[in-house]
Amino acid sequence: MVPSNYYIACSIILFSLGLYCLTVKRNMIRLLMGLEIMINAANLNFIALSSFVVEGAVHPLAHVFTILSIGIGGCIIALGLVITIYAYRHYGTLDVRELRRLKH
Amino acid sequence: MFTPLLDALILFTLTTPLAGLIGRRIKHEKMAVATWATVAFVFSLMLVFLLYSEVLWGAGLLIEHVSALPPEGVSLEADALSMFLATIYLIIGSMASLFSIREIEEGSPTGFYAVLLGMITAMVGVVFSGDLFTLFIFWEAMCLCSYTLVAFRKEKWESIEASFKYLIMSSAGSITILFALSFLYGTAGTLNISYLSMSLKGSGESLMVYVALLMLLVGFGLKAGMVPFHTWLPDAHMAAPSSISAVLSGVMVKAGIYGLLKTLLVIFLPLQGSWRITLAAFAVLTMFVGNLSALPQDDIKRLLAYSTIANSGYILLGIAVGSYRALTGSLFHVLNHALIKALLFLCAGAFIHGAGTRSLRDLAGIRRTMPITGTAFIIGALSLASIPPLNVFWSELTIITAGVEADMPSLSFLMILNLVFSAAYCLRMIQAVAVKRETSTSKKAKEAPLQMLVPILFLVVLSIIVGVYPAPFQTLAETAAQAILSPA
Repeated sequence: MVPSNYYIACSIILFSLGLYCLTVKRNMIRLLMGLEIMINAANLNFIALSSFVVEGAVHPLAHVFTILSIGIGGCIIALGLVITIYAYRHYGTLDVRELRRLKH
Repeated sequence: MFTPLLDALILFTLTTPLAGLIGRRIKHEKMAVATWATVAFVFSLMLVFLLYSEVLWGAGLLIEHVSALPPEGVSLEADALSMFLATIYLIIGSMASLFSIREIEEGSPTGFYAVLLGMITAMVGVVFSGDLFTLFIFWEAMCLCSYTLVAFRKEKWESIEASFKYLIMSSAGSITILFALSFLYGTAGTLNISYLSMSLKGSGESLMVYVALLMLLVGFGLKAGMVPFHTWLPDAHMAAPSSISAVLSGVMVKAGIYGLLKTLLVIFLPLQGSWRITLAAFAVLTMFVGNLSALPQDDIKRLLAYSTIANSGYILLGIAVGSYRALTGSLFHVLNHALIKALLFLCAGAFIHGAGTRSLRDLAGIRRTMPITGTAFIIGALSLASIPPLNVFWSELTIITAGVEADMPSLSFLMILNLVFSAAYCLRMIQAVAVKRETSTSKKAKEAPLQMLVPILFLVVLSIIVGVYPAPFQTLAETAAQAILSPA
């Protein structure tokens, strides 16, 4: 059996990857993918850490939390894609560097 | 199965499309949904007063267990703090919904009112949740509704740009909160707020707890407009319809403050020594950046948005001081700032409706053509400049004196310095609106219609009442502070 520390390490790496993606990438859809990676990292961490609460088993409450948060993540990404479509119609590009007209 | 208030609000939100459908049949879709939303707000305001009196003079704390008993299950709790904030949310929400009858001319009114009601519902849910996961779900519902409302004028590029920026930043913040929740769950085995504080007291100081503390500070602070995570705020407030800016600035920023209050002063109270300095530094930075960036702005809504950041800094400063009196001041400032900022944003919305511009230069002298709105705006700006007989002065005074009492006079001094800056830009706004000669744009403006004047005048009267007779409102803030520091 893989020790649960490995899962936690994995989720922390995923979270940092998502954060890296958010700070470095320029494509709007890639930014949303970065968000999705971060959400999945948090969900994985929830499941992994819940095995600390009840030794050797995943607590059912953590499952409920994770399923709900997957749903919420889906909502965020769906809304993000809708806004991306409108942004594409206005700006004709998916490059976030173009979305800087509000800067003063 | 929830508290009656939340039940009613959810029911009203879900039935708004039905009202829109009926309205479309009788060719008055907007009037139908607007009436429905107003009925919803009036009904829930009645319910909130009933519940508030029950909490104040009766139980003190209402708990509703939704599933298994804590620490396992999820629960809804309403104490004096929740009721205090819920009342503010509903008052500002109803004013915004009245105002938008004339402001929202394009787009689907049914969608607008359903999402606005949903956002207020979710905010009431945030303050009613007894465990962090329920809080997170309502939090995300609130965020999703606010992204939609910022992007409501989807034919304008600035709404879309602001909304995308806001979505990315705020979602990253919420996910950080979720990640921190998983650490807390792993350490304590529960997410119930009162059990969490007890079990963290026993568990000692592990690295995981500190990481969770930092992540929650960043996640909730992002919503509260804490510098350096504030950059979404001016854009979103500027690009949203004015009634939505009023809700965002008046109350949604306060949901972030509520999250910080619950995490720092309830869950992480044993670690107060470690977060206090950090929060004080963030608060001072927030005040300075907010006020100094507001000074040179020409866009009226952007100026008000930066002033929101600064006021958020004052509230955070009260939390950082952490004494009973400072907390009273902070919560009282939450009320006062919500009233004043909603008033100013609604007035700005009326100016934009009348003159069609957001630039202070073009709005010069508009008080002569829009006398009622202009006067209301001047009263609001005077209050924001903390002129004594108006409401904001009292809460700022409480925070400053509490800082001196708690042996942190340097923080109080920095806040007084900031009040000078804020007075400067408030006076500049007043000068632009009332003293300067009219421009061709402001000469053409017409006085705002009745549906816009009613919420503006209501907020003016309310802020004057709070200013002249602050004692009962301060008592409410005191009971709310009591509910955090010594829970029932």
